[in-house]
Amino acid sequence: MKSYDVVINHKGYLSLDAIDNILHQLKTYLSHKQSDKLLKKRVYSLSVECLDNIYKHSDLNEEDHELLIKYPPRFIVEKIADNYLIHTGNIVMNVNMNEIIPRLENLNNLEFAEVNDLYKKSLANAEISDKGGAGLGLIVMSKFTKQKIRYDFEKINDKFSYFAMQLNLKK
Amino acid sequence: MKGLNIPATDKSPKVLFDYENYLFEMQGNSRPENVRDFYFPIIYKIRKHFEKIINKNQIEEFNEKSFKFNFKLDYFNSSSAKFISDILVLIKDFTDAGLNFKVYWYFTDGDEDMKEVGEDFSEMISFPFHFIMVER
Repeated sequence: MKSYDVVINHKGYLSLDAIDNILHQLKTYLSHKQSDKLLKKRVYSLSVECLDNIYKHSDLNEEDHELLIKYPPRFIVEKIADNYLIHTGNIVMNVNMNEIIPRLENLNNLEFAEVNDLYKKSLANAEISDKGGAGLGLIVMSKFTKQKIRYDFEKINDKFSYFAMQLNLKK
Repeated sequence: MKGLNIPATDKSPKVLFDYENYLFEMQGNSRPENVRDFYFPIIYKIRKHFEKIINKNQIEEFNEKSFKFNFKLDYFNSSSAKFISDILVLIKDFTDAGLNFKVYWYFTDGDEDMKEVGEDFSEMISFPFHFIMVER
């Protein structure tokens, strides 16, 4: 039987403190249970990018508090045999979905070498947004996993959707 | 010391910019809460220092030694990567303006990703790096 661990299972609002705690927990797990240095670093790097994305791109105001309770941000890391699965979920505005979907589709249709080229080009041309993102996070996810990024949107109402993503990191 | 000496935190690297000893060094992890607030003053300082040397016609004197940039980073997030690339573009621009620099890119044994990102950066700015592997 394959070994299985739930490394992180976070459901609820993600503050900066919560992110620090999750990353601390993850580091502790990886230092004890993961000997492959490269894999250890990739799990950590992907987790930071995912948590940054959830934190920076949650399009919710305080008045939408009830939605947050009903559709909480999620960050889950599972280890199945030698592979890691990272699941994320957060509320995004429907208008922003129209930007995210083509970016994900484009990445999923690229060969690995093309993802690398896109990363280099994007590094040179990236602008830092008001939220502090460089728009490189999704490219890094595709570059490290060398797998298609699985994702899904569930429409909540006319304004918001719940965006779920799954990264599969193989040894 | 003239320049910068920013101590490391859990989320941001140590940054040393030592004019007299011809050294710029970044060491540690980089995922600062506000990446712009962290990197803008560093980039500003680098630009101003080297612009001053060029504007004062001190290139020949400056080039008697080579200025060393050491990147000893364990981890950086994608937003930090953008700013590190901005620092490297400055190195390239000031090299084209006549200043003499050397870039040393450190990575730990087994961290092929850190080596690879250094190679990508080097290719991106068409500037050769010296790669140094260190044992953990």
